[in-house]
Amino acid sequence: MANYSLVSLVDDDESVLESLPDLLKEFGFAVRAFSSAEEFLASDSVAATECLILDIAMPGMTGPDLQRELTLRRQEIPIVFITADEDETIRPRMLEQGAVDCLFKPVSEAALLKALNMAFRVN
Amino acid sequence: MKSPLKILHLEDDSNDAELVRETLTAGGVCCDITRVDSQGCFVAALSTGDFDLALADYTLPSFDGMSALTIVRESLPDLPFLFVTGTLGEEVAIEALKFGATDYVFKTRLSRLVPSVQRALREANDVQDRKRAEELLLAEKQFLEMVAGGQSLPAILDAICRLVEGTASGCYCSVVLVDPSGARLEQGAAPSLPPSFIASIIGRPVNPDSGPCAMAVWLNEQIIATDLSSETRWASYDWCPMALSHGLKSCWSTPISSATGKVLGAFAIYYNEPKDPTPRHLALIEQFTHIASIAIERVQGDAALRRSEAFLAKAERLALSGSFSWRVASDEVTLSEQYYRIFELDPALPVSVELICTRVHPEDMVVLAEMIERARNEGTDFEYEHRLLMPDGSIKFVALVAHGIRDEQGQVEYIGAVQDVTKRRLAEDALSKVRSELAYVARVTSLGAMTASIAHEVNQPLFGIITNASTCLRMLTANPPNIEGALKTARRTLRDGNRASDVIKRLRALFSKKEVVTESVGLNEAAREVVALSLNELQRNRIIVRWELASDLPSIIGDRVQLQQVILNLLRNATDAMSGVTDRPKQLVIKTDREEGDCVRLTVQDTGVGLDVQSIDKLFQAFYTTKRSGMGIGLSISRSIIENHRGRLWATPNTGPGATFSFSIPRRPEAVVGIDSLGTVLKPAITNAERIMGNP
Repeated sequence: MANYSLVSLVDDDESVLESLPDLLKEFGFAVRAFSSAEEFLASDSVAATECLILDIAMPGMTGPDLQRELTLRRQEIPIVFITADEDETIRPRMLEQGAVDCLFKPVSEAALLKALNMAFRVN
Repeated sequence: MKSPLKILHLEDDSNDAELVRETLTAGGVCCDITRVDSQGCFVAALSTGDFDLALADYTLPSFDGMSALTIVRESLPDLPFLFVTGTLGEEVAIEALKFGATDYVFKTRLSRLVPSVQRALREANDVQDRKRAEELLLAEKQFLEMVAGGQSLPAILDAICRLVEGTASGCYCSVVLVDPSGARLEQGAAPSLPPSFIASIIGRPVNPDSGPCAMAVWLNEQIIATDLSSETRWASYDWCPMALSHGLKSCWSTPISSATGKVLGAFAIYYNEPKDPTPRHLALIEQFTHIASIAIERVQGDAALRRSEAFLAKAERLALSGSFSWRVASDEVTLSEQYYRIFELDPALPVSVELICTRVHPEDMVVLAEMIERARNEGTDFEYEHRLLMPDGSIKFVALVAHGIRDEQGQVEYIGAVQDVTKRRLAEDALSKVRSELAYVARVTSLGAMTASIAHEVNQPLFGIITNASTCLRMLTANPPNIEGALKTARRTLRDGNRASDVIKRLRALFSKKEVVTESVGLNEAAREVVALSLNELQRNRIIVRWELASDLPSIIGDRVQLQQVILNLLRNATDAMSGVTDRPKQLVIKTDREEGDCVRLTVQDTGVGLDVQSIDKLFQAFYTTKRSGMGIGLSISRSIIENHRGRLWATPNTGPGATFSFSIPRRPEAVVGIDSLGTVLKPAITNAERIMGNP
């Protein structure tokens, strides 16, 4: 696992935005956090991001919307979706559309690590 | 007085005879006298002549007055007979009067002749009138008997025509009727008129132009045509030439009206000579048009009644309804045709309450018998839906409604109807099954939706808590430990925990009942209301409800609607517990009483499947259920409600079959609190589901 690889986080929830970056830093990643998909797209981090942790349901542009936009821009970033809705049908749908993984909140440390490992293996 | 007066005079002395004629003529009596002077001539004259009066000398050379009187009285008892004689002793005169002489006049005092003749004729007239009236009355009675005896209308009308023809000699009678549309004349009776004449009248339109009968009907007035040869009416229909061609010269037609004034037809009298009706004719016409109207009305009424009965029978058949009457005192039962058909009873069998009961489903007999017993005693209206068990083993559902009336003697008679509601009941059962399944689905889905929303709201802070805790652990176990970072993440963990707690609070605020209504509640009335609302369901499940309510039950302070929900829940559970019971009455006892400690208790006892002693404790837990379709939260919520009234709810198995659920509530709780348990959070789902079921 390369040190200081950039993991970007896009989520509208305050708890997630505050807590997850610190844990990712503890894992040894460089982290950028954004509270909306629009903010992420407007930033200079898109090209540098090696893994994207992306919330599904957000006001404005949703997680899947952002995924499609990145595909259009030929920005092939591995995506790990996270969602608070326990809908069993979401996960297979997200995996089918190219996500590395789809995790349900709350997410355990082990599950998160496993998903990140897979993302970097894809890379 | 008819004129001239036809007189038969027995007198041998031509001078005396002439004197009598002169006296009569002088007295203004116009007469046609036939004089005879022997027995042979007297008898011959009597047999040929239509005499109004007989005058006789007392002594004749070859004959005598008393013999003449005897002859007359034998054949013509009403003919006035006067002796006009020279000598007559007082004794003989009295003897003569005794033998039937009308009067006697002495030739020496002929001035008495005219008054005596006039009096005799008047008396004879009176006698004749009375006799005629008696005859007509007798005839009227016979006609009414024919009517009452159900003789056919043509036969009755025929007889009326013949009677009038016999009474007013020389006339021909007819009756025409108005057809049901009121537009045309129909055949009634005309026994003596030429068939071709009547045929040309029948079918004529009812209007003033088509003939005298049609005109009489149209105007509802008597029409008199004295001389048809000079008659100008009905020319457009050539009626008069038609009648004249049949030899008829006069016609009097009188409308026949019902008691309500509706014109039913016309009665006509024809003569083959020009003629005006006499008062006697008019009286005769009036009398027999009246009889004819009674006959026609009765026969038409009978026909209408038969039509109406047939119609009713057809309607009953279509409505799958039968009707009955039941005289309670004599147990006399009358059933309609359709009733027999629904119950599949043999109409030949003598019908009784017992016979009807043989068709009632044995399980429903208990309640029905109770109802019949109450009906016998109280005479109040009753209705009940029950099953019939047919000889072939099939089941029918019937709805029974009966209304009690009292006759003048105060005896109760029930008039009622049964309707075969088998089809409707089967459809309802299917519907109710679908509905309860739907309600179950609705409960589950609304619960699912709520769970998802709770999950979403709680998962966000939970994510934070877990992530922060992981970070915190990592920071603390690092070498060197990152205390500052750990503190920061620990603080964030705390904040996320509070956030999760806030979510729960918000949800509770959203779903909990905001205001708790506290009012004075009478448990007896509350229970009665619940049973009234569930009566349909209880009856459908054939459950007998017994009340054992304490009459002096004090009211309590609480939420009436919530307490009724508890009672309803207990009632439902009891109903469900007895749904499979077939070997004993499904009895529900609702009991209220006072309990020590100033508490009020309500008990619902059933004869259902009973309780498993091991699982009594689990009964009141949420999601515990023994019912396939149950959610297992009814009793849990019920207990929450009762506990919030500072009371308690418990269950005990019966010594016999079934279970007893009771709750008791203190009369004056310090305060009734809002419900504060899992039950309340779930309550909106229950309420929605129950609204779908159509229950409170």
